[in-house]
Amino acid sequence: MVETLVLIEHDRERVKRQSLHAITLARQLSGKYALLLLGQGLGEIAASLVSYGASVVLVADDPALAEPLADRYATVIAQAARKYDSKILLGTSSTFSKDILPRTAALLDIPMLTDVLAVEENDGSISYQRPVNAGSMLATVKLETDRCVLTARATAFDEPAVDAAACPIERFEFDAALLPNRMEFISREQRASDRPDLTEAAVVVCGGRPLRDKETFERLVGGLADALAGAVGATRAAVDSGMAPNDYQVGQTGKVIAPQLYIGIGISGAIQHLAGIKDSRVIVAINRDPDAPIFQVATYGLVGDLHQMVPQLITALSKGAESA
Amino acid sequence: MKILVSFKSVPDPNEAILAGAAASAAKSVINPFDEIAIEEALQIRERGDAVEIVAVTIGAPAVEEQVRAALAMGVDRAIRIDDSRVLDPYAVARILRAVVEKEMPQVVIMGKQAVDDDSNQVGQMLAALLGWPQATFVSKVEFLDNKTRARCTRETDAGLEVVAIDLPAVITTDLRLNQPRYVSLPGLIKARRRPIETLTCNELRVDVRPLTTVLSIANPPKRAAGTRVDSVEELIAKLRQEAKVL
Amino acid sequence: MDFTWSDQQKELLDAVGRFASQQLNYNMIENDRDGVFNHDAWKKCGAFGIQGLLVPAEYGGLGMDPLTTVAALERLGYACKDNGLIFSINAHMWTAVTPLVYSGSEAQKKKYLPGLCDGTLIGGNAMSEPNSGSDAFSLSTTAVKKDSKYILNGSKIFITNGPVADVLVVFATVDKARGPNGISAFLVDKDSPGMDVARKLEKMGLRTSPMAEVFFENCEVPEENLLGKEGSGPSQFTWAMTWERGCILASAVGSMQRLLERCVRYAKERKQFGQPIAKFQLVASKIVDMKLRVESARHMLYHCAWLRGQGKSAYLEAAMTKLHISDCWIKCCEDAIQIHGGYGYMTEYELERELRDAIGSRLYSGTSEMQRNIIGSLLL
Repeated sequence: MVETLVLIEHDRERVKRQSLHAITLARQLSGKYALLLLGQGLGEIAASLVSYGASVVLVADDPALAEPLADRYATVIAQAARKYDSKILLGTSSTFSKDILPRTAALLDIPMLTDVLAVEENDGSISYQRPVNAGSMLATVKLETDRCVLTARATAFDEPAVDAAACPIERFEFDAALLPNRMEFISREQRASDRPDLTEAAVVVCGGRPLRDKETFERLVGGLADALAGAVGATRAAVDSGMAPNDYQVGQTGKVIAPQLYIGIGISGAIQHLAGIKDSRVIVAINRDPDAPIFQVATYGLVGDLHQMVPQLITALSKGAESA
Repeated sequence: MKILVSFKSVPDPNEAILAGAAASAAKSVINPFDEIAIEEALQIRERGDAVEIVAVTIGAPAVEEQVRAALAMGVDRAIRIDDSRVLDPYAVARILRAVVEKEMPQVVIMGKQAVDDDSNQVGQMLAALLGWPQATFVSKVEFLDNKTRARCTRETDAGLEVVAIDLPAVITTDLRLNQPRYVSLPGLIKARRRPIETLTCNELRVDVRPLTTVLSIANPPKRAAGTRVDSVEELIAKLRQEAKVL
Repeated sequence: MDFTWSDQQKELLDAVGRFASQQLNYNMIENDRDGVFNHDAWKKCGAFGIQGLLVPAEYGGLGMDPLTTVAALERLGYACKDNGLIFSINAHMWTAVTPLVYSGSEAQKKKYLPGLCDGTLIGGNAMSEPNSGSDAFSLSTTAVKKDSKYILNGSKIFITNGPVADVLVVFATVDKARGPNGISAFLVDKDSPGMDVARKLEKMGLRTSPMAEVFFENCEVPEENLLGKEGSGPSQFTWAMTWERGCILASAVGSMQRLLERCVRYAKERKQFGQPIAKFQLVASKIVDMKLRVESARHMLYHCAWLRGQGKSAYLEAAMTKLHISDCWIKCCEDAIQIHGGYGYMTEYELERELRDAIGSRLYSGTSEMQRNIIGSLLL
């Protein structure tokens, strides 16, 4: 029996570092935890997970699982949870876990909480804290059952420290022929990028609609990100206007990030966007409207025309880098 | 094809702008993502792929204003499941399963998440309870093979992904699927004459109790106020020397 | 006296507010600067139901009562920042649609009203001339009957919607010797032979509402386009004017409410000398005065509309309403700029535009001086 099962996400080449943060939550809960990996050809990825203090790394490795189709993945994960009699199924919030884990919860007939920020125990009763209303409020919630599914918000938990001892890797057996077969994976966008992952980068530069068009967005936001070796993000308005692809979107319904340095360019600071950046260590805002709400959360606010300020910033940083 | 659209009545996220001259308590609206779901169903019907759209919501009598808004947008029938409790996503999914079993749609469409609760679970849970395929965070839907399958583009963390799913299925909508039509005054007036069906959980023969309780709601800690800088040079200096992030 | 709105009215007003704030507020600064009429927004308003609020349902309108109508226009003014668009809609409703509803023949109503209601047609009127503004009935444009046509000659100025109108209600005299009793109203379609919509006129405010001079040189108008009887021009005009005076500034009440809320927010957030400027009496006092103006303007607006709805004459009330709301609106805009200090003067803040838009309200639909004359003549 393994009390907690942690679903680890990967991109077929390596583990998604963000998904490891759920392990930190697993460590806070009592009992043993196992890591669960689904996919195909997972040898190396599984090997990279043995030093995280789990009792075992479970691997469901089969061609039928080559793509993360929710009906198949949920079925297999539910089987694993039943086999190991796990009370808690954990993941880190992502489109992958949000697609699959609620389905898994219903298969297991248990409730689920999304975006857990913290867990508290008082007199044997556990309560969970999660954001609601685009993070403008924090709800403290308790569950009526002791079995549940939780997704942890990565920015609320540290990356887990690596353990000296290595744990075993075990193949999780299931009958692929009995898996549902009514969903088919067709294709996925492949966009190569030299820039760091938006959810992992130490520096993120985000752009809003005032960037006008794709070229200007890439020149200014991309240019500044590159000068800082950072990642690029965008507001919903910028993505809606076609300036940036959907996976750049940061906010309530996009990605939630907490880099060391966030720079928002031409971003007014709507609650829905702030929901995605509030926990950044340093927030810099460049906007020509002195009353923009983002200035209320910015560590440093620069009021001015971004079309002038940002090129100056890029030049100054590049010069600094040259002379350093 | 019959489409069932599920929607939730939520406090208006744009409240500040819309507090009217006779402003009072927080206004309620159809959850923006569910509005997109209703719009998608209407567009599917307009291009001839569906013949009937039924909208369903769960709530107290006060949510009938949102039900009328759905009728005013153009859905054929609207159902309110009378239940004033605060329901968690799993309870909602179990009630909706009973509605699906009664209405027997080929497609269930709903928003990916409610903007008050931000759970993003109901659609997926419903799909599991029904044993149906699901396509979540969808930004485009097309029907194939004589409407026995749907080809859906999904917005994921890694970019756009395309899947094809057999019908009947559950689809949850993302922001860029469409731009919902606004409710027109003629639509609103016509909608007043259309009936709203009311059902209880009893009549649906479903008895669920929420498994989640909210103990308290609090304001998150406020970020300390920052400072203004007057130039790019000053910004860089502060980032280097004070914040030490450069 | 029941001052509450019914649930149905609230639902309707909320729908107006939501529609307007989501669909009509874009490119405001550029459109104002370049004098661009937002035709898309016009069409959306038509599809939404604004232009046809008062028109009977059988002709494509909503058959709404006057009180709900002005409340809807008030909400439109609150949620939509394009005062020019709203002015164009009002000009269309009171000077083209209203005369048609009251004086049009069945054929004329069926021909024009549906399009005028649903946004596909734009209407306006042509009364003012270079030499006859306040003294409207001293106009000189002539209409001579010839075979089955009227031949119009003359020039009109300050024609709101002129550059974009599909139909204008043109006032011309069939017999100057009869004085006002010779004035008749004609429905003139755009591109009528001999009709020249000339240069677009640049204005101080309401710049997104297009205005032009229109010249008639042997302009041919079919006889079936005579609106009402010959010589009924003045009574039609006066009738339409009482509607216009009572209703044209409904949206101004909404705009004032929006400015008031903006000033309250700003006064609480803006700090000087270590405290929010709301704490300074000179600032607070201005906001108090704004509130008084909004409330008094609103009550006059509603009362006048209510009288109309009861079928009562509102000639005096309409003049008072128009006079009072215009004064209130201009003062509110001035105060809003003052409260925002230097920022209030900046185009970006969209407050100076409100004042420029508001100044016209003392001039159109009868100058404030004319309103005073009317009120005075009824009292004394």
